Amino acid sequence: MKYYITLLLFLVISSISRGQKADCQCFLKGVIKDQHTGLPLPGATLLLLDKNQGVVTDLRGEYLLSGLCPGKYTIECRMVGYSPFHLEIDLQESHEENIGLAEQEIHLKDIEITAQRSDAPSSQPLDVLKGKALFETRGQTLAESMKGLTGVSTLQTGNSIAKPVIHGLHSNRVLIMNNGVRQEGQQWGSEHAPEIDPFIATQISVIKGAAGVRYGSDAIGGVIRVDMDELPYNSPISGEINTVGLTNGRQGVVSGTVQGSLPKVGLAWRAQGTIKRGGNTKTPDYYLDNTGTKERNFSLSTGYRYKGFGIDAFYSLFDTHIGLFSGSHIGSITDLLQVIENGEPLIQSGFTYLVGRPRQEVRHQLAKVEAHYHFPDGNRLQWTLANQRNDRSEYDLHTPRNDSIAALNHPELAMKLNTLTTDLLWDHKPLAGKFTGQMGISTLYQYNLMTGRPLIPNFNQWTVGLFAMERYTHKQWELEAGVRFDYRNLLTHQFVNQQKVSNEFNFSNFSGTTGANYRFNDQLSAQLNVGTAWRAPNVSELFSDGVHHGAAAYERGDASLGVEMAYNNQLSVQYRSDRLTIELGTYLNRIHNYIYLNPLPDPILTIRGAFPAFQYTQTNASFKGIDLSGLWSFVPALSWSSKATYLRAYDLSNDQYLVMIPPNRIENSIIWKIPPVAGLTDLHLTFGNLWVAQQKRVLPNSDYAPPPPAYSLWNAKLSAELPLSESNKLNISLAVDNLFNTRYRDYMNRLRYYSLELGRQVSIRLKWQFNTQS
Amino acid sequence: MRNNKKIALLLFLAAAPLFMQCKDSGEELEPDEENELITTVTLHFTDEASGTTSTFLFQDKDGTGGNDASQFDTIRLAPNSSYTLELEFLDESKNPTDDITGEILEEAVDHLVLITPNPSTALTYHYSDEDSNGLPLGLSGHVNTASAVSGKLKVQLRHQPGTKDGTSTPGTDDVNIDFPLIIE
Repeated sequence: MKYYITLLLFLVISSISRGQKADCQCFLKGVIKDQHTGLPLPGATLLLLDKNQGVVTDLRGEYLLSGLCPGKYTIECRMVGYSPFHLEIDLQESHEENIGLAEQEIHLKDIEITAQRSDAPSSQPLDVLKGKALFETRGQTLAESMKGLTGVSTLQTGNSIAKPVIHGLHSNRVLIMNNGVRQEGQQWGSEHAPEIDPFIATQISVIKGAAGVRYGSDAIGGVIRVDMDELPYNSPISGEINTVGLTNGRQGVVSGTVQGSLPKVGLAWRAQGTIKRGGNTKTPDYYLDNTGTKERNFSLSTGYRYKGFGIDAFYSLFDTHIGLFSGSHIGSITDLLQVIENGEPLIQSGFTYLVGRPRQEVRHQLAKVEAHYHFPDGNRLQWTLANQRNDRSEYDLHTPRNDSIAALNHPELAMKLNTLTTDLLWDHKPLAGKFTGQMGISTLYQYNLMTGRPLIPNFNQWTVGLFAMERYTHKQWELEAGVRFDYRNLLTHQFVNQQKVSNEFNFSNFSGTTGANYRFNDQLSAQLNVGTAWRAPNVSELFSDGVHHGAAAYERGDASLGVEMAYNNQLSVQYRSDRLTIELGTYLNRIHNYIYLNPLPDPILTIRGAFPAFQYTQTNASFKGIDLSGLWSFVPALSWSSKATYLRAYDLSNDQYLVMIPPNRIENSIIWKIPPVAGLTDLHLTFGNLWVAQQKRVLPNSDYAPPPPAYSLWNAKLSAELPLSESNKLNISLAVDNLFNTRYRDYMNRLRYYSLELGRQVSIRLKWQFNTQS
Repeated sequence: MRNNKKIALLLFLAAAPLFMQCKDSGEELEPDEENELITTVTLHFTDEASGTTSTFLFQDKDGTGGNDASQFDTIRLAPNSSYTLELEFLDESKNPTDDITGEILEEAVDHLVLITPNPSTALTYHYSDEDSNGLPLGLSGHVNTASAVSGKLKVQLRHQPGTKDGTSTPGTDDVNIDFPLIIE
């Protein structure tokens, strides 16, 4: 379900020079418009990145930067609800001469920029990871790359499997839009990480809170958008090569992108690929057996543009082999208690790159075609068709006892999920110059085939959703409202006592959103959003029936579960000035009929002993929290950055805490901007500390081991840029995480019973860009 | 007008896949295949004096989950007696029934049966078989009961691939059952 509107933003940059030879008297002024709607964009921020100078457009979308010296500048333009963009301009003597001749405002350049608007309500908090910040996460999994954003944490199974958690919600409650298509893997499982190569993305954004209207069901906790740049129409061949080396696990990653165009034909293309290899990782005290990974991914895209018409085709393959720590395999509770009592794994090993058993092998393929047409009157239609094939194979620690079956080396569990999504989207032309909006219809059809160990049934699922959203802009106000209806049909098939049993389910619901964005002045703005989202129970919640060995718990589904409905209220305030930025987000998310695992009074007796039993049950839950971040340049060369996340989740019906909720955390760093040296520019040295609290809000006696104590980790980072020529540059980053080799365990790592977290990690990252435009 | 018709046709084509349906996953339903499942553990106690055999069973034919164990016997033995103990493991969820005992015998170097009474004085157990490395296996053994008592008898099948050293520590449980035990 890809929906992004590609809006053409016309940026008209003009420059006037007053006086003949004044050195630093250049102006940069212009107006920023949303070309699709033709409306000026008030409140967009323009930053001169090299000068730390910025302005905000006024009510007419106009801006003025004065007192500039001739030279090269990189402009960054940001606006809530729009993807930021960069532009390099050259204010030169020659231009001044021309300007002098004209003696009036003339165009320095007319630049057409295609910016991807994130269609989330603009009243909802949006965090973006891109450019340098994204570069510094390269080599990590998708979820780990987002850990630095406030309100986002991870749910991990060991170190190679991480799922993003937004405001305490994860898995089926977080929707991932991979290049505009709703990612469909086996995301219900806590040990099933998103099947996306982060190197595909030039931008990862997180929309926090319920965003059901725009993105459909399941977007209860939020939406993660993985986007790549528009294809480079009218540009020569360019590209980049990324290499990452990590000492812990002796991991190496190489990723390359090359892109180009045939301007005469209107074609553009891009090819991208990644290879990743890592071996056993190490805690401060011991290696973790069988924790290597092997990954190979690539993607190809091409597009065609002619006047208002455009068509894009995209294909990506993600292929990973992930070793699961063998010391986490247990047969019974006795085994688990023995590991906990021992304090360290009973299985220990040295270093190897071999990925043995247990392991996961996952392949995810995405093929997408997208076409759009801009009508001359301002209407726009977009159609997207995408097919995803997700093949997941899980190999248990032990091969079958029967030698002839073992020789086949089949996975003990295999799931094939095939999904077809279609979206048709209409952006209507602006009405009365103040109303913009879009409406759309999306469908999803998928089927799942299972072989091996019983876990979830085979199923067919069909979903249709209809939505409409309108936005009204007037003076400092931006108001928006939207409504959506979704219908889902689910048909399941499984064997019960060797008899085929089929069940049919129908779920449907409305979701709505309404919000306001008010800009007090250039520095201060505030947003209020009330949004709803719903989620149908997934097949594992309906049909689980067995021991979940990772969790040492017997989990039972309930086929009578109904839909889960979230009502989310969010209030956010931003203050931005030259030297101080503060962003505050607060939320109160009430989830009716929240599905969770409720402990049953009696353990269940199995051939491997008694296991505590849990049943999927519904309750009313509340998630409330605060995300606070600040950046303060207290002296020109030094700044202090701080990010704090506070979350409190409660089961209202049973008057008790919910389990597996991320603990509160605060991250502080001091950033020293070093003057250029030896040709290196953009030099930064950062010292940081992450403090994660102990999760004390847990149910008493609900766990085999108490939540791990609070921990504090230090890190250091040195980054720089080496311009090689006009359009070639090298980015370098050297980072040390867990600087003091601290021993700790994390509550949100499901293997915390079995081992410590990783010890010191030294990483070096290089990015070489050639023929780049920005 | 002509343009409008073209657009209408394009729209229609674009909307068609919205309502597409394909494969039915019910037609490719495969029976569950749980490799390591054991559903049934049978203990044959043969009184060495009289030669009579008493058989005790744990049986959960549909594996973990589904229905509860269909049979879970209490082991009743006479005090101060000697028994031979033979163990049998089956996977009765398969058709025909899978004989796990034979597979354990084949992979004897990777398996170890543990018999642990509680209270520990209730009986003594000695292995009477071993694997090719000379380490105990435990598919058969000797039991000597002490005086009358009631308690538990834990039967464990440890899976210790590549790590078997004759002790209980390595590996993980494939079976871990506490049979009620009455010696009277």
